Order: sequence, then C-alpha cells, then structure tokens
Amino acid sequence: MNIKILLKYAGEALDKPILSEVIRKTSADINILHAEIDSRKGEILIGVEGPPAEIDKVVKLFEESGVEAEKLEHVVTLDSDVCMDCGACVSLCPTGALSIEEDYSVKLDEDKCILCEVCVPACPVRAIKVKRP
Amino acid sequence: MGISKSYEEINQKIRDGDVVVVTAEEIVELVREKGEEKVVKEVDVVTTGTFGAMCSSGAWLNFGHSDPPIKMQRVWLNDVEAYTGVAAVDAYIGATQLSETQGMEYGGGHVIEDFVRGKEVELRATAYGTDCYPRREVEASITIHDVNQAVLCNPRNAYQRYMAATNSRNETIYTYMGTLLPNYGNVTFSGAGVLSPLHKDPNYETIGVGTRIFLGGAQGYIAWEGTQHNPTKALGTIMVIGDLKEMNSRYLRGCTINRYGTSLYVGLGIPIPILNEKIVRTAAASEDQIKTQLIDYGVPRRDRPVLRDITYAELRSGNAEVNGKEVPVSPLSSFKMAREIAGKLKKWIEGGEFFLSSPVELLPRDTVFKPMKQAAEVPLVKDVMTKPAITAAPEDRIPGAAKLLAERAFNHLPIVDKRGKLLGIVTSWDLAVALGTGKRKLSEIMTKKVIIVAEDEPVDIAARKLEQHNISGLPVIDADKVVKGIITSGDISKLIGRRLK
Repeated sequence: MNIKILLKYAGEALDKPILSEVIRKTSADINILHAEIDSRKGEILIGVEGPPAEIDKVVKLFEESGVEAEKLEHVVTLDSDVCMDCGACVSLCPTGALSIEEDYSVKLDEDKCILCEVCVPACPVRAIKVKRP
Repeated sequence: MGISKSYEEINQKIRDGDVVVVTAEEIVELVREKGEEKVVKEVDVVTTGTFGAMCSSGAWLNFGHSDPPIKMQRVWLNDVEAYTGVAAVDAYIGATQLSETQGMEYGGGHVIEDFVRGKEVELRATAYGTDCYPRREVEASITIHDVNQAVLCNPRNAYQRYMAATNSRNETIYTYMGTLLPNYGNVTFSGAGVLSPLHKDPNYETIGVGTRIFLGGAQGYIAWEGTQHNPTKALGTIMVIGDLKEMNSRYLRGCTINRYGTSLYVGLGIPIPILNEKIVRTAAASEDQIKTQLIDYGVPRRDRPVLRDITYAELRSGNAEVNGKEVPVSPLSSFKMAREIAGKLKKWIEGGEFFLSSPVELLPRDTVFKPMKQAAEVPLVKDVMTKPAITAAPEDRIPGAAKLLAERAFNHLPIVDKRGKLLGIVTSWDLAVALGTGKRKLSEIMTKKVIIVAEDEPVDIAARKLEQHNISGLPVIDADKVVKGIITSGDISKLIGRRLK
C-alpha cells in the first residue's frame, strides 16, 4: 500500500528530529515529496509505502510527537470525461505516473505521483487537477 | 491488368448495404496477409482519422440584424474578439484569438466549443454608426441556435505529417509543440501516423475539392488546398468547411497550449475509395514507413536544425533516441480519438449514412511553401553589439573592476579565461554589494550560469532573452564560447531609434 501523508509542524515539533525518529521505528518506506518549513511552521508531504498497519503506525507516531498527520487520498485526479487522451502530459511526468495504455488512453497512477504538478498547466483541456489541503 | 472501381460503383454498394470498409490501421495488416491484388478486390473504402490541435481553424457566424441595426466594426464573443471586417453582422471567430479578460485560459477555440455545446455566449459589438446602420453598440446573450449560419471554415487542417520537436537549450521552453524539457529532455509530435488522412493518399489520387469528409462529428467538405499546402515535401494540408450546428463537441475541443496560446482540437476523417491497386499500396503504409524529422525547437529561427529522420513507429513507441539517450515522447494528437473517428466514419459508410463524393478538382501535387518576403534582413546580434567587450580574469581584484566599470560607464563585466572563453559575469550591482564584504577576487562573486546569445542570432532573440530573464545585458559568444561583445537593452533601443528614423 502506498499513501501520501501531509505533516503539519508547529511550535516545539519544529526543533525535534521527529521524521528520523519515525523512520527508525517503522518498516515502512518514507519518501519526502514536498517540504516547506520556516521558523514558525512547516508542512511536509510524504509518500509512505508499507502494509496498512504500518502506515497507521506512522500516522500515530507523528501524532504522538505533536505533528498533525493527515492521510491524503485523490489529491491528484485525471478527469476522464474531460481528458482527450492526447498524451501531451506523459513525457513531462518525471515518475511515469502518467502513461499511455495499450488502447491509447492516458492513465494516471496516483501512487507514482509526487505532486510536482508539471502536467497541470501542460494539459490542453485542464483535465488534471491537484487539490492540496 | 488490375481491377478498377468507380465512385458510383462504391456508392451503389453502400446503397445495397454490401460495401466493405476497413480503417487505415486495419488495411496495413490485411495487405500484409493477403497482398494488394486481393485487397483491391475485397475492400471498397479505407477510413482515416486524426484528432489534433489545428490552430488554423475558425467559424463564420451571421448574427442577424438588431433593431435599430448595427454595422459591427468590432465584435467580441465571451470577450474574445472576432473579425468583422466584412458585412454588417458577419464575423469570423478564430481559434487562437485570446480572451481579453482571461488571456490564454480561454480563446476562440473555446468559444467554438461552447457554441457547439449549446451554451450561452455573450456577444458585444461596437460601431461608428451610419445613416443606414445608426446603432453604435449592442450586447446580447446568444446560442448557436440564435445565429443564422455557423460554419466551421478551417484554412489549414490535417497536416499530412508534422515535425517532431525537442529542445537543445538548458531551459524549458513553451512552444506550439507543447512543453519541451531542457537538454533534449523529451520529444513531442503531432499527427495520426498510420491513420493520417492525407498520408494515406499522398499522391492526391482521390482527395480533392468537394471530397466529403468527417468534420467535427458531422459531414463536411474539402473546400480547397490548405494554406501552406506543401505536397512536394509530404506536408500537404486541406481547407475544410462544414455546418457547425451539426457538429459534436466531442470532436471539437477548445484548448490551451501552455504559455503559447489557445487552439482548437479538430476531429477529421477522410474516406479513401479503393479505386485501384496503386491506391491500396499508399493506403496500406505502416507507421515504420511514415517518416518525419526530429527538429530542435531550441533554435527559434525559421529554419530550425534537423537532428535526424524519425518514423511514426518510433515516436509511437513512447521513447525516442536523442543524442544517444532514450527520452520520453508525448503525442500531442490523440491516437485513441483518431481511431474512434476512423471507426465512426466506417460505421457511417457501412450503415448507408455516408456516401463518397468524387472530387471536382484534385489537389495540387507540385506546390511549395515559400518563406515570407521580408523588406529588410533582420539585423544580427553582431551588427548591434558593443565590441570588443571589456572583460576581466577570475583572479582580478574587485576594487579594480569596480573602478573600470565606473570609468567606462559599463554595467556588465564578462569574466574570461586566458583564451577569452566565458567563465562567468559580474555586474556593477554585484560589485557594489561585494565592496566592503572582505571578498577580494572576481571569481568569488561572479555568476557562473550566464545567459548568453550567439553573434549570428537575430537581435529579436537577444531582446526576448533580456525580457524573459529580466536582465539588461548579454555576453555575445562565438561557436568556441569566446566572448565577442556585449549586447545591452541600450544597444537594442538605439537600433529601434534608427529604424524609426
């Protein structure tokens, strides 16, 4: 299972090496997709891969350390009613999350997406949407 | 001697319900299996299809007269201006015209799609007023049902094939061929390849003025050769026409090409009657036989460098080799939709809803596409630049350089090695900031990633770079990266001053 978790840091949590503590305590793989941190608050978007129980443990570990952890689902969507299957997006995707299928339709694999958003303005009909919480 | 069929014979088969139609994709396999001779006997029509952004598209509209009447001088549809330099209430809405309020997010292509979807469109027109047309302004909310005629009339559609694009520059560029990543990071291409209508009859044996076609989901016609029709280079095009009121928004989609502009995706398909063996042969061309050229769009000139020939089969595979490296490929036209169109046209013919028309005239096979006749050659960077440039070495001291720039009233100091090759740049601002920091050598403060221009590039390219990067000067280099001069916004202003005189 692969899921994205948005971590919100504030106050004391900012000064502690919470992420490395969590990594040591879990067998799940954690990948930092996006991070924005200043002296007062911070947000880190991570991708977590592992069995569901382990993912829940990661969420719990962050919350116990005073970091708000929110599981994100369907952050990026490809609206198949709008998409024309032109493929303008596929060569821009750095992770292969967007691909052309056997039947020449364009497919989005959310698990592979790192939310770089390069595809969003490149879509001629605005079929790809990223909703950040 | 081979078999030959007539249009009338094929239309009779359509009437009788025993016409045999295959798509331009299916015929490839069929000919491989059975051979041309057998296929010409068995197959009557090959259907093609394409669905891509076709900028040279638009629609003629007649709004009817208001009371009191107006002779429209300017007209906008959802804030997109349409051309009304014809009679009082006729206008042409072009696909690439941008919205005056939404910019590239909405344009003429979107207006056309909204009309086809049956949506309300805000019309606004102004005029100078005449004795017969006294009104000076009109505003109305209209739909496609309110206009008298809505005729899709596209001066250039269905390019036989198109160039594939890549980018040698070290920055992302935004072109009509889509977003091109730096350092040959991707390839984009357009055209339906094996389904490409004009490539399936490249000698124009059957396609001509009056050919009935699939256009935007309805039946349309070829009106003429397309603008820039260039059959001698396998770059033929067609001008097409059809009733917008009958069309379907599935096959006409307004679009935005990021940081380039708006356009219209047009669905188009042509039936090719299998009149003889020669026509089967060209209709059965496969994607590994359809070649185009891979072009470096990093060079913004009319004649862009050709990197190599490339087949549609390679492009379709999803990866292409550029300079020894495999890079991902984006088709910009939808092959899935092209297939759907060829399939739909096949169904129409099989179902007796679509008959073939014999062209009134065939399209020319010998025209070429000429470049613009320009009044004056564009000046090159080397004609305008300040030369020679004052340069410095990386080990030179900061105070000395500051004094030099102040004395000569320069702002840009290229840093070069012993052979004059560019290493970096220091501006008067960098020097002002560095004074008093304890830094001593120019190498400590120079910017190493320098925006440069080549001496034989047109001045317009230097001007675009200055504007894009919000800088005031560019070192000019030759092929060996040796600094030959500096071009500044001042040099370009002086040039414009001279032009105005």
